[in-house]
Amino acid sequence: MKKKILAVLLSTAMVATLLAGCGGNKADTTTTETPDAAETEEAAEPEAGAEETADLSGMSFEIVSKGLQHQYWQAVLKGVESKADELGVNVHFVGPDSESNIDQQVTQLTDALNANPTAIGLAALSTDSVMDLLQQAMDAGVPIIGFDSGVPDAPEGSVLANCSTDNYAAGGIAAENVYAAVSERIAAADGTVRIGVVAQDNTSESVVNRGLGFIDKFAELAAADGYGVSVVGNDTYIDRATCEVSDDAKVIIDVRVPASVTSELSVADVNSLLGESDILALYGSNEHSANAIISAAENHSEIGTGEDQVICAGFDSGAAQLEAVRNGVLLGSITQAPVAMGETLVELLVAAAQGETVEDVDTGCQWYTAENIDDPEIAQNLYE
Amino acid sequence: MTDKKNGNAFTNNPLVRAIGLQKIVVLLVLVVMLVFFTSVSSTFRQYSTVLSIFDATYYLAFLAMGVTFCLITGGVDLSIGTGMFCYALAGGYMITHKDMPVIVGILVTLACGLIMGTINGLIVSRGGHAPFLATLCTMMIVRGLGAIITGGASITWPSSSSPNGWTRLLFKIPIGDTRYPLGIVWVLLVAVLLSLFLNKTRPGRYIIAIGSNKEATRLSGINVANYQMLAYIISGLCTGLGALAYCSAYQSMAPSGGGGIELNAIGGAIIGGTSMSGGSGTVAGTIIGVCFMSVLQIGLPMIGLQANYQQIIIGIVLIVAVYIDVLKNKKLA
Repeated sequence: MKKKILAVLLSTAMVATLLAGCGGNKADTTTTETPDAAETEEAAEPEAGAEETADLSGMSFEIVSKGLQHQYWQAVLKGVESKADELGVNVHFVGPDSESNIDQQVTQLTDALNANPTAIGLAALSTDSVMDLLQQAMDAGVPIIGFDSGVPDAPEGSVLANCSTDNYAAGGIAAENVYAAVSERIAAADGTVRIGVVAQDNTSESVVNRGLGFIDKFAELAAADGYGVSVVGNDTYIDRATCEVSDDAKVIIDVRVPASVTSELSVADVNSLLGESDILALYGSNEHSANAIISAAENHSEIGTGEDQVICAGFDSGAAQLEAVRNGVLLGSITQAPVAMGETLVELLVAAAQGETVEDVDTGCQWYTAENIDDPEIAQNLYE
Repeated sequence: MTDKKNGNAFTNNPLVRAIGLQKIVVLLVLVVMLVFFTSVSSTFRQYSTVLSIFDATYYLAFLAMGVTFCLITGGVDLSIGTGMFCYALAGGYMITHKDMPVIVGILVTLACGLIMGTINGLIVSRGGHAPFLATLCTMMIVRGLGAIITGGASITWPSSSSPNGWTRLLFKIPIGDTRYPLGIVWVLLVAVLLSLFLNKTRPGRYIIAIGSNKEATRLSGINVANYQMLAYIISGLCTGLGALAYCSAYQSMAPSGGGGIELNAIGGAIIGGTSMSGGSGTVAGTIIGVCFMSVLQIGLPMIGLQANYQQIIIGIVLIVAVYIDVLKNKKLA
């Protein structure tokens, strides 16, 4: 009996510790983040009030994002606020607790509509779940502007324009930089050369487009220099790449996709690409894939930016990738421009509210290397 | 033992009986596989491949050793894959976001494993839930917890070149220009300790007894619930160790990740001769089985096999391993 009581006491204590531990963490994250958001919003509002003499003073915008936890979204918020200050408009920026919390986002969008705003900015987690609300907004004459991934497949006329990164073009920029770094070695090579593309999956449109943009651009540049190109590996990428392929290829673009999105499988992909005797360069098309290259670099001294080393490029940022770019493990990486995205969003909202015709805007991306990583222009878009 | 009667000279050889037939067979297949990969792929012969295989073995070995105890009691622990990610995220969060010393991160990681293992044990042994269901539920819980703790962000433990990166050096130490797989020492150390515990101590023998006949064990006056719970606590702690090994070998730990890794670990244990129906299994066999899994995982992409074919091959290997288990049980019955 004593033992039982002891066991019950012990287990209660353990559960309590767990709850306390988790509760503590949760409280910490909310207290560190909420005041930030609240503070900045409050800071924005008085200034907006101060400039009330401006034409746009009566405008208030509701922006529903995919969440505030990621540094990426914090950077979008930063751009939104600075532009709102500049133009003297009111913005209210919200987002669900996680990117899988679709119901919460629907509630937030409903609240946003009920607030009777001049216009709404939306990065929908699921287009289907907001379909009715999009119709309501149209009926009420509230213009909606999509941002980030926007509102894919939205009904005609409900979303006036999107501002987002053109992932296909971004992949192309990575290809241009990698090609410039290896073009002499391609010319000097006797046999074939291989360019590895490490992709997280073949289902997400943004990831696939970043891969295809790289493949097509690299093939275009190689073809312009008179080399034949072939694409091998994952079938989705082979089928969707639009570049010319030849049977007698000097440049082989080899695309690897793991069976599921876990580090150890992607690292195995990188290992096997590095094992190819003709490997010249690698491209990881998102943070996950770039990190896989960095993990593999721990075992493979052949990765680096020196002569005869395998040149590697990444995408997005994160602590590991920033360090790898600084240390010369990666030649460079592509960062999206969340701050510019936030600014453009506010501009589009204002334009739409004034009844102007608005068009989709590519908010652009930047190629960053060890040299320019600390430039303020670029550093504002990087996060750990 | 009916198989003694049926066995031939080889299977009745005392040495073979001592090591276990299945372990010998798996070891031989492992050697054949290594020879095959080495001869087909020039990449596989490189030293970096050895390091990669060890990277892929450490975490899986810890998970599999832990779950071996659950399997031996006739249960299973499905929470180890997502749990490993959750614990490493919690520990890493302390280091990267709270600026705590690395040792705090390590302790938090291990403590999380210990606590979740205890909860699994309580639900199974005291709550009477089927282990499969109980740990399926905690698998969901830890998946959610991992995302909540980090606020949905992915976590990277400090890199090996940073002063806080010594956890990585514990598993792969650079001496001169070469890196050596130091982690093998820790895996073997834990394997020896757990093996001694399982075979030479009373609680260890009770855990085996529960798996072979729970009712008989209970009737002989042993507190079955306590020892059943102990198996899950060991599994939880080992998962914590696995978490340290994983975040030392790889960069990204994404919240809500890790699903599916538990099946590789369980697969490794079964290939190594642990019975799905409980009552038998060895830590040494599990280590061999895990090596089998990690060599497959590293080797298959190197012979140019695309991801989905790799999954099919690993699936077929597991079917064969379970079939051997079924045959063994039939023979014993």
